[in-house]
Amino acid sequence: MSEESPQLLPGTLYLLILRTLAAGPLHGYAIARRIKACSADVLEVEEGSLYPALNRMLLKGWLRAEWGTSETNRKARFYRLTKEGHEQLAAEASEFNKLVNAIKLVMRTA
Amino acid sequence: MTFLREVYRRLRWMAGRSRFRSDLADEMQFHIESRAEELELGGASRAEALAQARREFGSRLKAAEDTSGAWQMRWLEDLSSDLRYAARAFRRNPGFALTAIVCLALGIGANTAIFNITTSFLFSQPSCRDSASLIAIWEGGNSAAPLSDFQFLRDAHLFAGTAGINFEREVNWRDGDRTSRFYAGTVTDDFFSTLDVPFLLGRGIAPGEMNTAVLSYRVWRGAFAGDPAILGRKLILEGRVYTVAGVLPADHRSVVGYGIAPDIYIPVANPDDYVQLYARMPKGMTRPMARARLLSLFEQLDRIHPKEGWQRARQTRVTSVTGLDLLRQMLPDAVVAFFAMLMIVASLVTLIACTNVASLLLARASSRSQELAIRLSLGASRRRIVRHLLAESLLLSVLGSAAGFAIDIACAKGINNLALPVPVPVHLVVSPDWRLLWYALGVVLVSALVCGLLPALKAVRKDVSHALKQGERQTARTWNLRSILVAGQLAVSIVLLTTGFLFVHNLLRATSMNPGFDVRHTIWAYMRLVPEQYNEPDQAKQMAVVRSALERLRALPGVESAAIARRVPLNDNCVIGTQLRADVSTTPIHLQYECNDVGPDYFRTIGIPILGGREFTAADRKGERPVAIVNETFARAVFGKTDPVGHTIATNIPNAPAKLIVGVVKDSKYFTFGEKQRLAVYEPYFANGEPINLHFLIRTAGSPAAWVKPINDALGGLDSTAAIETKPMSRALGLALLPSQAGAVMLGAMGVLGLILAATGLYGVLLYSVSRRTREIGLRVALGATPSDVLRIIGRHCLVLVGSGMLTGLALAFFAMQPLAMFLVPGVSAVDPTAVFAMIGVLGAVALLASLPPAMRALRIDPMEALRYE
Repeated sequence: MSEESPQLLPGTLYLLILRTLAAGPLHGYAIARRIKACSADVLEVEEGSLYPALNRMLLKGWLRAEWGTSETNRKARFYRLTKEGHEQLAAEASEFNKLVNAIKLVMRTA
Repeated sequence: MTFLREVYRRLRWMAGRSRFRSDLADEMQFHIESRAEELELGGASRAEALAQARREFGSRLKAAEDTSGAWQMRWLEDLSSDLRYAARAFRRNPGFALTAIVCLALGIGANTAIFNITTSFLFSQPSCRDSASLIAIWEGGNSAAPLSDFQFLRDAHLFAGTAGINFEREVNWRDGDRTSRFYAGTVTDDFFSTLDVPFLLGRGIAPGEMNTAVLSYRVWRGAFAGDPAILGRKLILEGRVYTVAGVLPADHRSVVGYGIAPDIYIPVANPDDYVQLYARMPKGMTRPMARARLLSLFEQLDRIHPKEGWQRARQTRVTSVTGLDLLRQMLPDAVVAFFAMLMIVASLVTLIACTNVASLLLARASSRSQELAIRLSLGASRRRIVRHLLAESLLLSVLGSAAGFAIDIACAKGINNLALPVPVPVHLVVSPDWRLLWYALGVVLVSALVCGLLPALKAVRKDVSHALKQGERQTARTWNLRSILVAGQLAVSIVLLTTGFLFVHNLLRATSMNPGFDVRHTIWAYMRLVPEQYNEPDQAKQMAVVRSALERLRALPGVESAAIARRVPLNDNCVIGTQLRADVSTTPIHLQYECNDVGPDYFRTIGIPILGGREFTAADRKGERPVAIVNETFARAVFGKTDPVGHTIATNIPNAPAKLIVGVVKDSKYFTFGEKQRLAVYEPYFANGEPINLHFLIRTAGSPAAWVKPINDALGGLDSTAAIETKPMSRALGLALLPSQAGAVMLGAMGVLGLILAATGLYGVLLYSVSRRTREIGLRVALGATPSDVLRIIGRHCLVLVGSGMLTGLALAFFAMQPLAMFLVPGVSAVDPTAVFAMIGVLGAVALLASLPPAMRALRIDPMEALRYE
């Protein structure tokens, strides 16, 4: 199934995770599900790249992780945006919009 | 900043690595189970759902790997694994590692020790607050100014603070019924507060105080046994009572620099005293600004208190209290040049050590070329292998420099305990400091690069298939990189050895030199009177002391004669440069000559032969006709072939009476053994006076050592407040020999060190060449070569290396020695044929010694085994 979903643009996984977490802390599985749901099942985050990405973001200080209880009452690791994470989201989002608009412009006019 | 924070997080991650792994496993398990639950809601069975979820997740192992990969510091882990690998390799081959580390330790140890001595002597940072805002003031270009001028400067309030010190004073300390002498610094009462000197105990001399004293750490530990209750203790110095206010710390460095450190500090009391001027500039003032203000101040002073023939404002300079700026003011060029030469020599030793290690590593790399080739062909990147080889040399240099640093600390300990035989209180405070640390670090990094890069590049440049075929060329190629290195080392070591030999020769020459007077039967007794007790203007009291002292000394059994002198030769001197007119000519000539005031019997006592005329007698005193005695060089320079006795000389000072020459004495040495023959004029001691520091010379019938105590007793009975030091003249030559000794010890040690290192290098290269040529030699032996044929192979190689190194070295030495002539005593030539022959002999012997073990190994080669070696 995942072979059929379009390839993510490089770097957009960070943006998607940041945007997803902007609403509030989530655990890894919920992040993947939320991205899938919000993209109407188009974008599917591979588990093999989700956790490395989360850890790279922890390293950069955009996220903080803490253990909590999931909606099914099980121990789960929740990720939360830090101040740097919010700043990063704002910066990446505007950058991304610029890029997408530019691509759209090219697609329409060229 | 972000980078640092990331590094911090990575380090924290590393610390909690095992926890991280189990957390990650839990997290992934949770992910899979959550997905399985979702699938179960869709109608799948529990087992199916779990299997499906696991399939979707993919390899958990890979995910875990990738996730921890996000945290890892690759280079750090690679480095630590490289270092571990290198350490293991060294353990397998301890001989190699030990040789390399010892070479580096000696090279780096020598270098840092010399650097340490040089910086602490030339560039020591004074112990005070903010030395950058301190200036030294050279009024009229002089190092010291009258106290009245200091007071004028202080009261002008140009600066944030002023300070004055005279570090050349001596004081008598009366301790119970003993009197001893201290080197004292007399300081103005604002000295310690302006400089803001840190204290170990108590405080400095405060403004307005006239009777407090500050002790150096050395004296506190030595004379007062480190008494913790020293503060407030009363000391009798120069017959006056002082209270100890503070003790300086052990690492105190005085503002004067050059290791000059008085034993004790007291307030300057005598209005005729001279002090060196220091000032602290207020914020925003620069040295040119300070100089401009000082100039106008000194011009003002010149108008108010003019001094004949001297203007303060002319040539007034302002320098900082550290660095090259001060150096040029204070030290003769020869001393700076000497230290520069030491640094060069030490760097050469380090260079030899580094090339030694490089050639060891080179040998190791080429004997491991097969191993490296295998690793390359198995897919290791060239970068990886270069890095691995560099890690080996890094490990070596770190270990080597740690050992070198230990050597250096030991040297520093030795130097700190060294008492130099000089008439000023010089005590070097040598402590490994940050400059040294940076310097050592630089040496290490450069040596790691030099030692590692060459072999590493050479190792990976090799064609893999070529090396794999065990096709090491086993022919007798004499000139490869290693041989060039060894020949170069030998050349440099010849330069070092020649320098060392030259200075040792110089010392031997200086020691055996005849000073021109007898040191074997003479004793020097120094009796220092307390000035305050002898302050009548006519000096009758001390004249009486001198007369009765001489009577007592002459009455001692076994004493042949005794005399008094103003200065003791080779310990103190006074040079006068003036216009002089002799009665044989009408035109005055400019002359520089040594002067001394000596009493009756001086020449007989010290053993300087009288060539014509007479000695001074008791009748030559104040109020009588002025007379003088000259040495033969003076006589020749002024009177030519005429006998000067009966003629007169006069200086151009107005109203100075002409002096009648009553005698001519033989030449002798006046200040150092190395000096060129100087002119000298003696005047009668009792014609000039001012005897506070009394120097008695006593001639004894036998060995002088036995008379030290009777002389001390005889003089001590005259005045219990006087400090008396008595020693045989033969032990009072330390100062005159110091330059030769310092040169011989330091450069001799460097030369020997260089030779040892170069010999190790030669040994290594020969041994290596034998091991490389095992097959060739085995084949030759199998084909009928005799042991002497085998020896010839090794001998030829050794000869080529040593010969070419020696020739290059001698040629280099010839040019390098020329400028060294300035350090040598007369009669020792910088280019010395005996030195050349000695050098060839020493190097030949050492080369023979170094080639012996490789030759033995070559002889032991078993042809059968060597051929099977393939």
